[in-house]
Order: sequence, then C-alpha cells, then structure tokens
Amino acid sequence: MGISKDRIKFNVGGRLFETTATTLANAGRDSFFGALFDDEWNLSPQDSVIFVDRNSDCFAVLLDLLRTGDLNVPANIPERLLHREASFYGLLDHVRTARWGPFDGNRLRLSDSVKGIAPGDGTAIRAGPDGGCCVAHGSVVHVFDWMLEEHSPINLDYQRVNDVGWIDSENIVLSACERLGRGDGGMGLFSSSSGDLRYKFQVCHENQVKSYTAGALSFSPDYEIFASCKGRSNEYGIGVWDQITGKQTDFFYESPGWSLGDADKLQWLNGKNCLLVATLFPRKDNCYISLLDFRDKNMVWSWSDIGSPMAIDEKRVRDAIAMEDSNSICVVNEFEDLGFIDLRMYGGSVRWSSRSKLMKSKMPDEPCYPKLALHEGQLFSSMNDSISVFCGPDWVLTSRLRRSYGGSICDFSIGGDRLFALHSEENVFDVWETPPPPII
Amino acid sequence: MSNQKKRNFQIEAFKHRVVVDPKYADKTWQILERAIHQIYNQDASGLSFEELYRNAYNMVLHKFGEKLYSGFIATMTAHLKEKSKLIEAAQGGSFLEELNKKWNEHNKALEMIRDILMYMDRTYIESTKKTHVHPMGLNLWRDNVVHFPKIHTRLLNTLLDLVQKERTGEVIDRGLMRNVIKMFMDLGESVYQEDFEKPFLEASSEFYKVESQEFIESCDCGDYLKKAEKRLTEEIDRVAHYLDPKSEEKITSVVEKEMIANHMQRLVHMENSGLVNMLLNDKYEDLGRMYNLFRRVTNGLLTVRDVMTSHLREMGKQLVTDPEKSKDPVEYVQRLLDERDKYDKVINTAFGNDKTFQNALNSSFEYFINLNARSPEFISLFVDDKLRKGLKGITDVDVEVILDKVMMLFRYLQEKDVFEKYYKQHLAKRLLSGKTVSDDAERSLIVKLKTECGYQFTSKLEGMFTDMKTSEDTMRGFYGSHPELSEGPTLIVQVLTTGSWPTQPAVPCNLPAEVSVLCEKFRSYYLGTHTGRRLSWQTNMGTADIKAVFGKGQKHELNVSTFQMCVLMLFNNSDRLSYKEIEQATEIPAPDLKRCLQSLACVKGKNVIKKEPMSKDIGEEDSFFVNDKFTSKFYKVKIGTVVAQKETEPEKQETRQRVEEDRKPQIEAAIVRIMKSRKILDHNNIIAEVTKQLQPRFLANPTEIKKRIESLIERDFLERDSTDRKLYRYLA
Repeated sequence: MGISKDRIKFNVGGRLFETTATTLANAGRDSFFGALFDDEWNLSPQDSVIFVDRNSDCFAVLLDLLRTGDLNVPANIPERLLHREASFYGLLDHVRTARWGPFDGNRLRLSDSVKGIAPGDGTAIRAGPDGGCCVAHGSVVHVFDWMLEEHSPINLDYQRVNDVGWIDSENIVLSACERLGRGDGGMGLFSSSSGDLRYKFQVCHENQVKSYTAGALSFSPDYEIFASCKGRSNEYGIGVWDQITGKQTDFFYESPGWSLGDADKLQWLNGKNCLLVATLFPRKDNCYISLLDFRDKNMVWSWSDIGSPMAIDEKRVRDAIAMEDSNSICVVNEFEDLGFIDLRMYGGSVRWSSRSKLMKSKMPDEPCYPKLALHEGQLFSSMNDSISVFCGPDWVLTSRLRRSYGGSICDFSIGGDRLFALHSEENVFDVWETPPPPII
Repeated sequence: MSNQKKRNFQIEAFKHRVVVDPKYADKTWQILERAIHQIYNQDASGLSFEELYRNAYNMVLHKFGEKLYSGFIATMTAHLKEKSKLIEAAQGGSFLEELNKKWNEHNKALEMIRDILMYMDRTYIESTKKTHVHPMGLNLWRDNVVHFPKIHTRLLNTLLDLVQKERTGEVIDRGLMRNVIKMFMDLGESVYQEDFEKPFLEASSEFYKVESQEFIESCDCGDYLKKAEKRLTEEIDRVAHYLDPKSEEKITSVVEKEMIANHMQRLVHMENSGLVNMLLNDKYEDLGRMYNLFRRVTNGLLTVRDVMTSHLREMGKQLVTDPEKSKDPVEYVQRLLDERDKYDKVINTAFGNDKTFQNALNSSFEYFINLNARSPEFISLFVDDKLRKGLKGITDVDVEVILDKVMMLFRYLQEKDVFEKYYKQHLAKRLLSGKTVSDDAERSLIVKLKTECGYQFTSKLEGMFTDMKTSEDTMRGFYGSHPELSEGPTLIVQVLTTGSWPTQPAVPCNLPAEVSVLCEKFRSYYLGTHTGRRLSWQTNMGTADIKAVFGKGQKHELNVSTFQMCVLMLFNNSDRLSYKEIEQATEIPAPDLKRCLQSLACVKGKNVIKKEPMSKDIGEEDSFFVNDKFTSKFYKVKIGTVVAQKETEPEKQETRQRVEEDRKPQIEAAIVRIMKSRKILDHNNIIAEVTKQLQPRFLANPTEIKKRIESLIERDFLERDSTDRKLYRYLA
C-alpha cells in the first residue's frame, strides 16, 4: 500500500509521466510540486492523472534532475526554454546547482562564449557570487545573470568606469572618473537585476563633500568598501565606506613620495586585517606596493622598485597579489615571469622565477598586460590569449586555458564557481566551469 | 476567400503588439478571485491547483503582475472585513474561540493563496521590492481584524481579564490563550509588544501594587517573601505556557519592582520577623529566600548586607564588652568562633556564598574583636587550652580545622604583636612543663603564623623549639660522659637562649643538696663544652617527680614544681616545720612560697601535707606536717600550682607596658625606613605611611608616632624644615 500511495501520474502537455512523491519531494516546499502535494490541496485519488499544461520535453529533463540531481539537456531543447520551464516549477536554483561543479582550476572546461556589442577594449570583468558576471566597457557596465542573460546596463553619469565589484548577488558597486566641477562620477551602488542606482558614495574632506575619481575597489567581510580616490585638492588616498549605512568611515591619505590614490589594485587581507594597495608601472613611473592597517592608520609593510637597477626593463611589475598562506606577494611582469616578495621582511626584493625564456613565444599584435588571481590555493595568471594555473608550494604550472578566438585576455575573474575571461577583441568573454563530478 | 481575408488580417495585426485577448487579464483574474472566495469559504476541494497556479503564472508572464497583486490584496481585505464582523458578533466567552477559529482559517487560506501566487511571489514581488504574499496576509489580518476598533480593545480586555482570573486562582483555557497570544507573535514583534505586552505589563504592575500593599499589612516578613516567590514563579510559569519567552524578563521585573523593591526597607526591618529576627532564629530557608528575591532588585543585597553588618557589629560589641562573658577566655573565644561558624553557615547556605557578604562578615568581626583589648591574650589562651588538653582524641584533620579557625580570628586582630607576646609566654610554659599534647599541632600553628605574618614574627618561637631539641642532645651528652649518675636522682636541664624566651628575673632558691650537686656537675659539663656562656637557673619554671612513702606505707609518685620539691624534701628530715623555717631553708620568695604551700596543703585530695591551723590561706605563723593519711586512687599524683590562668590586673599592665616598649623601636625603624627613601615628608603623610607599614603587626598610635619622631629629631636622625614646620627632613 505504501508503494502504490507513493506513485504519481502526470499528463504534461499530452505526454504521460509516472513518478513518486519521494522524487518530487526533492523539489522542496517552495516549488510547484511542494505546493501541489500539500495537504491543503486535496489531491484527487492516486489513480487519477494530474494534468499540467506545460512543455513535456522540459518536464522530462526537470523530472530527471529531481530523480538524479544531474542535469542532461538534449541538444534540441534551447537553454532559454529550459530555464523558463524551471522558473515555472520553481526549480531554477536546482538547475543552477546541477549545471556546474565545485571550482577546480585544473578541471575547467569552456562552457560558453558571450559576444559583446560594446565599443573598444574592456576595462574589467567581475564574477558575481551566484554565477553571474559584469563587464565594464568605457563608461558602461553590462550585467549578466548566471543564465548569461543580459540585464539593464549600468553607468554613473556616463563617466569612464575604473572598476566594478559585487557586494552580493543583488548589488554592484561601480567606481568612475569624476566630471570636473559637477560632482558627477565617483562611486555608486546599483541593483544588478534592474540596473537602478541605489546609492551614491561621497568623499568628505574637512566636512565638505568633494567630487572625486574612484579607482580600484575591494571589500572586507566586515561590510567595508575600500576604494583608491583622487580628489580635487588633497583627497589622494584610500577611502573606506560602510556597506550598510553607505557612510564614509575612514580615509587614509597618501604620504609625499608614495602612491595610494592612483592604485590599480586593492586586496583585503583578512588574516592580517590589512589592505594591500598596489600602484603599478604604466600609471606611475615606479611601482608601489603597501599594506595598510586602518586600526592605527599605519603602513605596516611596503615595497617599491625605486632605485632598483632599470637595465632589465622587462622586470617591471604589472600585477600583484598577496598570498596570506605563504606570507608572500606574487607579482608578474609582462613576459609572465612570476616573482615573489617576502611579506615577513621589510624592504625585501623580488625573487623572480625565470620561466620567460621558455615561454617567450611570438607576441600577439595587441598585447595585454598579465593579470593574477588566487583561488583556494591555486594561482592564475593571464598572458596573451591564455590563462596559466599554478599549484603547490612551488607554484608548478599545472594547466593552461586557451582559446584562440577573441584576441588576448585583458581581464579575468573567478567567482560563483566559474571563471570569466574577457578578451580584448570583439569584447567576447568566455565562461569556464568545472563539470559536475563523474558518475562513479 | 474568407480564409484569405483572415490570413491577411492576421498578418496585418502581427505587426502590432501581440495581445492575446483584451479581456484575458480580467477573465483570468476572475478565475483566481473565485478560487480565493472558495478557499475562504472552505469549499476548495473542487479547485485544481495546477490550473490556478498556471493562471497566476500567466498573468505575471503577460505583465499583469500589478493587477494580480492588487487584486489579491483587495479580495483578501474584503474577506477579512467580513470575518471581523463575525468575530465581533460572537458573544461573551465564545469571542476568543471565534477569533482563534477565524485566525486558523485565515492562516490555512493564506497558505493556499500563497501557493497559487508562488510564481508572483518569486519574480514580480522580488523585482519590485513589494511585500511578499505571506507577510502581506498577516498585515491585512492585523489591520482589518486585530486593529478593527470594535475588536481591538475588547480583545485586549478579554485577555487581561483571563490573566487576572488566573492570578486569583481560577482555571482558564491556557491552550486558547496560547493560540491567541501566538497570533500576536506571528503578526510581528511590534504587534505583540504594542497590542498586548505593554498593556499586560501595566495591568500587572497595578495588580501587584495593590496586592503587595495588602500583603505587607497582613503578613510577616517570611510569609510575605514566600508569597512574593510564589507570584514570581507563577509569572515565569505563565510566560512558559502562553507568552513570548522574551516577556519573562519584563514581567519578572514588574513583580520584582512592585513586590520587593518598593517594600525593601520595610521588609528587612519588619519587627519580630525581619532580617535580624531570621538571623537570630537561624531561619536559613527564609534567609535564602530573601537573598534570592532581593538579589533581583537594585540595591537589594546592599540593604540586606547593611542590616546584617550592623546587627553583627551590635551583637559582637555586646559579646566582647560584656564583663560577664569575658571572664573565661576559652569560652569567650569559643563564643566568637561559634558566631563566626554560624554566620559562615548563613552565608554559605542562604546567601549563596556571596563574596560581598563574606567581606561584610570579616569587617564586622575585625571591628568588634578589637573593641576588647584583651582579645589577643584570650585567643592565645584559647590556643593554649586546646594544645594542653583540648586536642586529645581529635584527629589531625580536626586539629587543623580548629587551628585554621583560630587563625581566622587572629587575622582580625589589629595588635598582632600583643598576641605574639602572650603566645610566647604560653608556649614557653607549655614547652617547659612538657604539657603540650601534640608537637605537630604546635608546629603547624607556627607555620600558619609564619605564612600570615612573615619570618620575623615566628623566629623567636621557632628558636624556642630549637632550644628544646638542643637540650635533649645536651642531656644525652651529659649522661654519656657521667655514667656514674645512672643511680640517684635524674636531672633534666633545658638550656634556654636568652631573648628567645619570655624572661623573668631569676629567683634565687636553695635546692636540696642531692639536686644542687647534680646541678654543679651539669654546669661544669656544659661550660666545658660551650665556652663563653653563662648559665643561670630558672628554678621558678622547673618541675620534679618525687617518690613518697606515707605513714601507712602508701607509695605515690608526686609530680610537683621545683619549689614544691624543695619544700617537700625538707620533710625527709623533720616531721613538722613552721612557715618561717621553710622560708629560711628554701629562700623562696614569699608570694611564690605561699602559693606553693597552698597547693600542697589546701587542695582537697592532693594535700600531701597538712597545716595548722586548717584554713584556706597561708599565714606566716602556720606550721606544716606530712599528711600520713594521704590516699589517692592514682599512683601518680599531680600537684598543681595555684596559679591564675588569666593575667591579673597588674600583670596585664606590665605586659601592656612591655608591648608598648617593644613597639617603640619598631615605630622608629619604620620612620627611618620611610624617611630614608622619601628624604622629605610632611607630618600627616609620615603618620599615614608608618601606620600602613606596621598594620600587619599592630595599629600604631599617632601620638606615639609623634613622640618617636621627636625622639629621632633629638637624636639627629631627622630635622624640621626651617620654613615649614610641618615638614621633616632625613639626615643621613
């Protein structure tokens, strides 16, 4: 009796399906099936067939998803159709979690390429926490959800965008150049789904609101936003805002002979409770990397290439990333040589690991500066049209992601268990995912 | 033809916006609206969930989300308005039941409506940031039912009425109560607080104000506290049964304020039943209750503590200043210990071992123990008594307990040096007479004193023990080198270092020939082994065991003092001696001789000699002879010396003087130490610092300190500043 009571028959768009209540229970209460089988809705006796006026092919795929947790979409079903149907049943989240597995740099597979329509080079690409991403081009940021459907683009008074970042899956912060004398530009908080401006961050200097240019962005788990700022008069440095109140809570002014307000890269170091600030070669004549402790307004560590022998021009630092686990900062030059600076010593020098001879192949027509990223002990470095993956204590090259189409990679970002790589030509961005785990 | 036309028309229309059916939205909504009605009328069995869900989905898909949302609100509002009329119409007791029934129906309906509108909830509402279906349904219930004017106050009054009934002992339907209160909680914290909790607390406050007034007029303190405690547990119980757990703190604070805080003083001071009465009558349970209740209110414990302290001080003052009670030192100290034990127990069992109460107890004892200047002496006597005889048959652990208690009293003493003085005297007596019961106990106490007061305090006491030990070795050496002495009387000499022992002027006394020969031998032996020393005999401190044969042949061994031995030995040569003869022969000072004769002749059962005439006191004309008829059950007879245990008034004065004398160098040393480091200091600060420095030993008298300063100035240790006379300078 127990078995027969468990059995459910559906007629979906004319096709008969038979399944069990146990399978459907995997959909959860907040779904079509969860409500359908609630006691309030006196379901007719079990031998009768429940009619659902929907697409039967998609129902088969989704039913299979509920049965196995695996998503297998036949080629004849367009993604959009499947997503639409999943949305009807309230199973979108199920589809998303089944789409790709936990991130592993050595098992990535190219899953999609999205071609943009924006003019010129891309500035930045940022992965969102739930698999979406946003791409900054000139003065506009295009926002894509995890289904890679584009939402309304966002902009801050059509000023040139310098950086973007996700606070959560609903909110994006955008930093832009100022427009002289108008108070435009600066930093704003936007809705990722509707593209509406929700809040504009201000810089105050001696109780006066100043217009400013915001550069690189970073966020801390304590709900702080950091941005490199260049103001009209003296407001060069790093501004700090509270994510919840939106108010400016701190400002670290740059000292003479050092650079903070021009920084290309900010990185919050949770273990050290410090912010890494890096101003790199093309922006200034020299490179400056420093760690700031905001609790006592102290620069606790710094490094600069001022005074180092300039003969070897190729050893200019183009990107930097702090690796707290190994107490070092990894830097890269334009030939994709990796270098390491010890964080425990003050005034140490870069220890280059010489791979450039090996790698120095032909340069593309339009070279891009290399970028670095770190994700769960794996180090990623972009160069030309490929991304190298390094692992282990000695940072051994383990994988290389390459696709010839789209030109060299100008930026890439990891998040939501996906890697997004933005190519300089034709504004195409690639989506790399880890496939779901094997069946056995 | 018509077909052709139709196709053309369709192609034409297709260029415009595709509208499925202009009435599509209205039609779909009507289906849904009808369904909502059916759900509310509990007639939902015929509804197809799939159809309704699909319709709601289609409305959102075709951009009619707004219509769907507002339609749902309007329909639900209309239904709730109707329901509120029905609820309002319910009479008397059925009112709450009707409300609860309708609330349950609404919840069920809301759940089903939310199911139908699930897609709208997830997409349209999410992106437009409107209120979700479920909270919206609750808000509508709140606005249309709970806040409906004719229900609002009636509901509140009904609930408060029921609580009131329960407080007066009636049984109410707690389940129904819980459901209705749960409704308030479901509607949100602010609804619960504003519409129920606040008025509930106000009503409770009023209730307890009246009740506490009633109780305090009619009950004694113990009963009142019992009632207050009962009320408190009742309220906590009420919260557990049908209120929000967060209300517990609030309602208990109402009860605490009305029943305890407002009547605190009156309760504590209540005549014949207040705190003092409880303490006197050992009402631990009541005391514990008082502690637990008063602890809940500000200043509650402070009040209890203050009253306890003043009672303790008053009681202690009486105890130590009553001349009747300080007659017997042992009893006096025992009383102190008993009081301490009692309050220790009170604090331990009733007051949760509260540190602040222990401090109050200690400060009170410190206060009154020092009111009686003889406390140090009495404590030392108490120890003496215990160590002489009191410890027999007691385990080591119990000995430690007693000693620890004594140490506790010792800690309260301000004049620790006076104690030391007496302790030294008493210890000396114990050691020399061999009366001490347990060497371990003696040493254990010394160690305790040492940890309490430092090495200096006990160095002389320890010296006394060393002397005892050395004397043993000396005696062994003496008899080793004089084997011929194994026959005849045995002499045991204890060589005491001058200074370590309380010295008394050596009283000359003629020893019997047999003994003085031995003494001479010992003297020459001792001085032979230790050069440069001087020996003088302290005959007043010695004892002797002598064998006596009485008239009818009774043999006894008599344990007597050296003086008594000298007297008794005289009777070996003559049967009868006059007082004068004895005095002449022994040269014992008159007061000592009299005391010695008194104990030999006048103590019943131990009168080994008789005197004529028979009387209690010794006269200079009396004559003495051996009591031939002396009998005793025991072979060994101990003849005590009639000696005042407690010091007599002149002795007390003397000791006092000696103490004062001893303090002088200590005060001076302290002044010099302080001035040496400070170089320059004004009068008040010197007094303060000296007092502080000497506190562990005694409380220095400011006038005495002043005298010492003057003496030091005279001796050129200090000088007065030439401009400011209040300043002193240190002269190196």
